This record gives sequence, structure tokens and C-alpha cells, in this order.
Amino acid sequence: MQLSRLGLLAGLAAGALIAATPAQAQVTLKVWSIDGNDRPGIADTFSKEFDDANEDIVVEYRYIPFDELVNETLRAFATGNAPDIVSFDNPDFALFSSRGAMLDITDRVEASDIINVDAYFEGPLNSVKWEGRLYGLPKYTDTIGIFYNKDLFAKAGLSKPPATWAEVVEYAEKLTDPASAVYGITFSARAGEEGTFQFLPIIQMSGGNADKVNTEGAAEVLELWKQLIDNGWASRDVLSLGQWDSTGAFNSGNAAMAISGPWEIDRMVEDAQFDWGVALLPTITEGGERSSALGGFNWGIMANTRHPDEAFRLLEYYVSQEDRLFPEFGNLPARGDIELPVTGIEKKDAALKVFQEQLQYAQPRGPHPEWQKISKAIYDAEQQALTGQMSAMDALNQAQATIDTIFNK
Amino acid sequence: MSRLFNSLRDGIGFDIVLVGAALVFLLALAGAPLVYNVLMSFQQVDMFTLGALVRPFVGFENYVAVVQMPEFWLVTRNTLIFVFGSMAGQFILGFSLALFFAQRFPGAATIRGLFLVSWVMPGLVVGAIWSWMLAGDFGALNVILRGLGIIQSNIFWKSDPAFSIWAVIIANIWLGLAFNMLLLSVGLAAIPRDLYEAAELDGANAFQRFWTITLPMMRPTIGAVLSLGLIGTLQQFDLFPAITEGGPANTSNVAGFWSWQLSFQLYDFAKGATVSVMMFLLVLFASIIYVRSTRHEVRG
Amino acid sequence: MTRIYTPWFLLAAALILAAIYLFPLYWMYVTSLKSSSEIFANPPTFWPRDPDPGIYAQVWHRRTMPTFLWNSLVIASGVTAVTIVLGTGCAYVLARYRNVWIDIGLFVVLMLQVLPASVMVTPLFVGFNQVGLLGYPRTAVVLAAAAKAMPFFVVLVRATFMSVPRELEEAALVDGNSRVGAFFTIVLPLARNGILVCAILTFMTAFGEYIYSKSIIQSPSLQPASVGLSGFLGPNSTDWSSIMAYSAIYVTPILAIFVLLQRRIVSGLTSGALK
Repeated sequence: MQLSRLGLLAGLAAGALIAATPAQAQVTLKVWSIDGNDRPGIADTFSKEFDDANEDIVVEYRYIPFDELVNETLRAFATGNAPDIVSFDNPDFALFSSRGAMLDITDRVEASDIINVDAYFEGPLNSVKWEGRLYGLPKYTDTIGIFYNKDLFAKAGLSKPPATWAEVVEYAEKLTDPASAVYGITFSARAGEEGTFQFLPIIQMSGGNADKVNTEGAAEVLELWKQLIDNGWASRDVLSLGQWDSTGAFNSGNAAMAISGPWEIDRMVEDAQFDWGVALLPTITEGGERSSALGGFNWGIMANTRHPDEAFRLLEYYVSQEDRLFPEFGNLPARGDIELPVTGIEKKDAALKVFQEQLQYAQPRGPHPEWQKISKAIYDAEQQALTGQMSAMDALNQAQATIDTIFNK
Repeated sequence: MSRLFNSLRDGIGFDIVLVGAALVFLLALAGAPLVYNVLMSFQQVDMFTLGALVRPFVGFENYVAVVQMPEFWLVTRNTLIFVFGSMAGQFILGFSLALFFAQRFPGAATIRGLFLVSWVMPGLVVGAIWSWMLAGDFGALNVILRGLGIIQSNIFWKSDPAFSIWAVIIANIWLGLAFNMLLLSVGLAAIPRDLYEAAELDGANAFQRFWTITLPMMRPTIGAVLSLGLIGTLQQFDLFPAITEGGPANTSNVAGFWSWQLSFQLYDFAKGATVSVMMFLLVLFASIIYVRSTRHEVRG
Repeated sequence: MTRIYTPWFLLAAALILAAIYLFPLYWMYVTSLKSSSEIFANPPTFWPRDPDPGIYAQVWHRRTMPTFLWNSLVIASGVTAVTIVLGTGCAYVLARYRNVWIDIGLFVVLMLQVLPASVMVTPLFVGFNQVGLLGYPRTAVVLAAAAKAMPFFVVLVRATFMSVPRELEEAALVDGNSRVGAFFTIVLPLARNGILVCAILTFMTAFGEYIYSKSIIQSPSLQPASVGLSGFLGPNSTDWSSIMAYSAIYVTPILAIFVLLQRRIVSGLTSGALK
């Protein structure tokens, strides 16, 4: 561990020396991200604009499928072909930033006129920090809330969305209608990051976090969720459905409530044949602590880049265009100071307002370099509890034991 | 010199070149990665040393750690169930279909060809379709089974810990059926018809003909199909992320998927390599059995 | 095995069996015409409520499918060619003798394909990078995929060669042929059908090659169709209808070609390999 850090520092020092020599006529920057494959996206569009606007810099953009980002970057790192700027899913960022693979840009950001660190939501910003230093910037963000079918609510005599998880169970019972194949609620407790994505906020609301998962509150809600499944108020398949597929059932009228995020809005506006709305994620106790999942990606400059200054200029350009994120690409910027333009679609605008409010409470997953192992411990425990293999508290305790070994290394 | 040339054309040299060319190719492109993986299972790996071959040596630490992981025995059990379940289903159904299609009726050949659809469809698509078909609420399988009266209420194939591995097995049987059927068909077609006719004249019934003629003559093919089937089943991957992703709670996690998970989702490359080496040992054992059994094959 | 039931009865049974087996294929076509949420509707719709065939044209254009399909063809052909050239001879020798060396050879061939492609990618990537093959990504993929396909091909073709009687080859040698001659003029033609079937299987598997292509081929203009397909998977949303449409465009012609090809081979098979 020590040796490799030293080696990396030595490498950086050497690199700095080389970079101090006068710049070449043309600098090539490599940018990797998940955008631009299906339709123009943030990274590819902005990169091209920057390329066109700057004579001395050429930006080579490469699209990478999102579940290959980390592995491709690792492989490229191993063969010395790492990109200059890369965009990671926010929980994966710490894997790189904690090992010194991302450039420390704290000072550059402070000196920058374009970037204002305080404008960012706390959650996304935390995911790019490591030990107090800044290693990247949020690219866009999202979170989750609870969608509900207003028509079905009205039929069941309910007027407001549920505010606590106990209320969720109560409402789900009233809303479930097996004859019409309607479940009270649908969500995702899938074996994978999506399961943890939806469960971690519960842990956080109960006072825990990635390092402490076996809280009373979390076990309580897990038992409530088990009730939902056992009584048939939520489908047993929440254990294998992802958020997108699960909410598809909501759109088809087969569930009265769904937990998912802003990415659902466009499809819902098109496919849902009923009146719907979004509410903040329910809390454990009335008026209790709020939390929600933090999705979205982060930008970072890789530490062994040969052109840190130019790469930083490109990063500043991305930040300067953040007000275009929503109108052009449908992504939520991670900043509280950008107003989202009104789209004119009533349900969509109402939903976005709720999500923007929710973002104030969204907390990151980690950050921790071994987040993925923590995540597996969490979703394994979640599934063990929901399938009745163990009691919720026992399952969480087992997860905690695994997590302790990770944190105590 | 001319002796060498002669042996190449006409003697042992010819054989050596034919086998040697293939082996050299394989050793370079498949042997080297194998060595890399075996080495990696004895080392401590991180992102900075991914490309190197020499890394800190940790002996059997990785193996011990893997065996001590809570999911280890569950994964082992699942792998065995998966392999035997899949292979039994694929082989029995494949052989039955091969026998059926070996009979003469119009369109037999064309219809048989349609079964190869499972090989042409991309893994991602097959996984997605079976994932939908196996869904508890909106899955076609449940609808059909209920329609036929075989089950009363929906089975949650993917989410019920008792059924999750069977969900993947069902999809895998569908996937591997075509391979088994086609190759067993080729083997069947090579058996001369007159052998059957002679046996029939001698008074042997269908079962006896099958047992005394078909099976022995098919031995090389059956051996090949089974051994390749074992390897293919262990490597089966696409179905898992699509259908259950190893869940719920690792009840459908098998060695192949787990190895991938460890390396490419949890970024613990050394452990992933360790699990893949363990899988390798399992196949080693099966391959030895297959190769020994080829001694009993009847040629021509 | 030629008990004569009414052939038409058998045909009907065959059609039913095929229909059962092809149900997932049907589901693929039907899903491509459904709306994104209808896929998850309960009860499931066996025919789309509002079929949208326009999606096929959309997908064709959105995805530069002609380029992708061409790349798939190139890679699959390359893999098949390399596999046949190197694998046939190897299978012939492994079938011809029975001794410890052959056992070892067969064993080594078999064991070298045990590791799944996903764990082979990283060392191959690093290795290709060292020798500069990453500059020729499709070639690199052909080599990697051929190494994956070859053991399978060798084991199967060996079984085919086993069905060629030794006596015929011996007779040819006695007649004055060299080993090379006997191989090419007698043995190979007799094993032709088995080899062809295995070649076709290899081709079809290589056409769907995904894992190596995904990592080794970085430029979209050189990627095969399987990688293009994965482009529909977003971080949160998945365009299933487009994926199914894409897959339909990709699968239908291959299936059609194969079904036609297969008839020719099978007619060769059923007329006996031992003319």
C-alpha cells in the first residue's frame, strides 16, 4: 500500500516536471463517458463544442457502456492508456479517488471563477471528496421519491401520499386489488446495486450509514417491507425486478405506488393512462429525518494526465454549461442555484419540483473505495430478511459483521 | 532434410504439425491467460498491478478467504444443482428430439433447423425474454401453466429462494437444447441404417435396438456432447445477470457468475481468479474422466 | 428407428414441438411492437395492444446497423476460417491414434477453453497491447474468439472423424498415397458433413461474440452488432422495444439462411457418410 502510493507520487512528480515544459502546439484530451451512444448526450456534446472553440486542444470522446466504465478504465490504467477525463457513477468514484488515481483539484477549484463549490448539493459533493480534498465534480444527479396513482388513491378514499413507512403499509393494504391485478406498491429489492440504492436511504434515515447498517429503524422498515410482500400488497418479484421494470408495472396500472426516480417521468407521461404524482420518500417516524438515494455521475481528471491544465479548462467548460443540462438532456444538475425551466407538461413540472426538493436530503453511497462489497453485504441482508431466511435484525447484523471487516482493514 | 520433408508429408511429422499448430495457437491465446489467472489467485492484486505478472505473493490466503465467505457453500451447492439439472434436461430432451427428428417425415430437416434459434439470438435478448417469461405476475410461463391446470397460483420463479436456481435452469435447458439435439442428430445419422434393419429382422424391439446399437455407436458423440456441455454450462453467464443476478440472497449464484461478480462488480480480482481456478479444478476432474473414456470408443 | 407412423402425424407433432420451442422467439417479435410499459402489464398481452412497426426503421437508422452487421460478418468469418484451418487437422490426428500423447493432447485442448471469456479479457488485452495488436482490433478479436471456439470444434470434429473407417484410409495409403494425399482425398471428404455442421455452429457463435469485442474494439465503426445492441442499455432506463426490434433484424436473416443451409447438409447426412 505504502509502496504503491510512493511510486504514484514519484510518477506524479515526474509528470509534473514534464508538464512544466512549454506546451506543444496541439494538446489531445481523451474523455470517456456513457453519453452519446443513442442520442446526443452531455459529455459528447460539450466535448465537441469545446474542441471546436479551442484551436490548441483536440478532444477525443469515447463512449463506454455504463457497466463497463470502471473495468475499462482499470484496464486502460494497467496498459498506460488511461483517459484524461472520465465520468464515473458516483459510488465508484471513491475507488479511484482514494488511491490517488484522480487529480486533486481542490486548489484549482478554489481559484476558479467559473466553479462555485458551495452551489452544489451536499450529497453529490461528498461523493467527489476524499479525506477533505476535492477530486472531481458532480456531473448530474438524481434521486428517488414515491410515485402514486391518484386515480386509484381516490377510489380507495385516500387523498394524500403516505408520509411514513407505516402509512405506506396501511395504504398498500387498502390499494391492493387482486381481482384487477393491482398491487399496493412496487419497488426494487433486487440483488445488485439497485437493491442497495433503495434501501440505503432507510438505513440513513434511521441514523446509520454505510458503516453502520444494523440500526433499529432499518430493521423495523425491513420488517414492514416483508409484511408488504407476505401479505401480497407488493409483488414477490420486487426481489428480482429493477426499478425501470418495476415502475413499468406501475405505468400499466398494476401497482398503485412505485419508488423510483426522475428518469421515469418521460415514459410515465407517455404510457400512464391515469393521473399520477410524486411525493418525497416516506420517513420512518412522523417528521423524522429525511434521506434519499443519490444517483448520477461525477467527472474527474485522472491523476496521470499529461495535460492537467487543459483538462481543467475542459472541466470548467462543462460546469459553465450546467444550465443546459436539463432543457437539452433531461438530467438534473447537482446544483441548487440552477432553476429548471418549466416544460409545460403539468405532471412533469410538478414531479421535478418534488425531486429538486428531495435532492436536498439525498446522501451518497459511501464514499468508500470498497463500496461495492459493502453494497453486496447490504443487499444480501435485505434479501435474506425479505425472503424470511433470517429475521431483519439478524440479517443486518450479519451484514454489519462483513462491513466491519471492510472498515477495519 | 529430405527425411524431414518426407516425414512431414508422409509420417509422424505430418501428425505433429497438424496438432502442433493448433496447440501453439491455443497455448498462446488461451494458455497464457490461464496462467495469468492461476498466478493471480496466489497474489494480492489491485488496480495498479492489474497488468503486471509479478505481484506480492500471498500463498493460499485468497483460497482460505473465499472458502470462509458466507456464500461459498451456497454457491457450491447451486453450481452442482445447476450443472446437473441443466445437463440432464438438455441431454435427455435433446436426445429425445434427435431421435424424433431422425425419423422420416416431410419437413423434418427444416423444422429441426428452426431449433437453432437459441444459438442465433444474442445472450442479452435471451436473458431478457426469459426474465419476462419467468416473472411471477406478468410472466407468460405462469399464464400457460395455470391455463393447463398444472399450477393454481403464480410461482415466483425468480424471487422465491426455492425456485430461483430452477428459473435459470429452465432458461438454460432451453438454451442448450439445440446444441445437444443437433450434435446428437449428426451422430445418429452416421449410424448405418442396415444395422437396424438387420436387428429388426432378428426380432429385436425398439428398445433393444436402441440399447445395443444406438448407444454404443453414439459413444464418441455422447462423450463429446457431455464434456462440452459441462464446460459450456459452467461458463454460462448471460442468463444470470438478466434473470436473477444471483439472488435472492445468493440462492441462484453459481461459481461462474460469482467469479465474475467478485472480479468485475466488487473489483476484487484476486478472489475472482481464485473462484475461477476452483471451477477449473472441477472441470479438470470431469475432463480426465472423458479422456479416459475415449479409450473405449469404437472407431468407424 | 424407422417404424412407420403416419408421416403426417409426425409432421404435426414436429410442428407443435417447434412451436413450443420457438415461443421465446415469438415473444421477442411481439415485444418489439409493444410500448415500453406494456411489457410489464399483468395479465401479459400475447399480442400488442397498439403495434408500432415503425420501430424497425427507427432502429435500423439509429444504430448504423449495416456497419455493425458487416463487422459481425467479418469477425465471424475470420473466426470460422482460423478455427477450421487449425482445428480440422488437429481433430484428425486426435481421432486417428489412441495413446498417452493423444490423451494428453485432447485433455490440454479441452482444458484450455474452461475459463470464461470474462476472465480471459484482461490478460489478453494487456498482451495484445504489448504486441501492438490493439491497432487491429477486429483481428485481435478474431484470434481471441478463435482460441475460444477451437477446442469445442476440435472435440466435435474428432467425433466426426471417428466415424470415418480406418480401413478406407489404409486402403488409400496402400494404393500409394502419401499421408497428406490420403487426408485430403479420402478422409476429409468423408468427414465433410460433420465439419460443415461444426463450422456453421462456430460461425453462429462467433457472430454473437460479445465480451472480447466489447473491450478490444473501441471504435464504433468497427464494432459488431452484439456490442451495438448493448448500447440500448442505459444506467437507469432500458429501451426494451428497440432492443427486441434490433435483435429481430439481426436474428431473422441468420435463422432463415441457416434453415435453408441446414437442409442441404442434412440431406447429405441422411444419405449416409459412407458412400
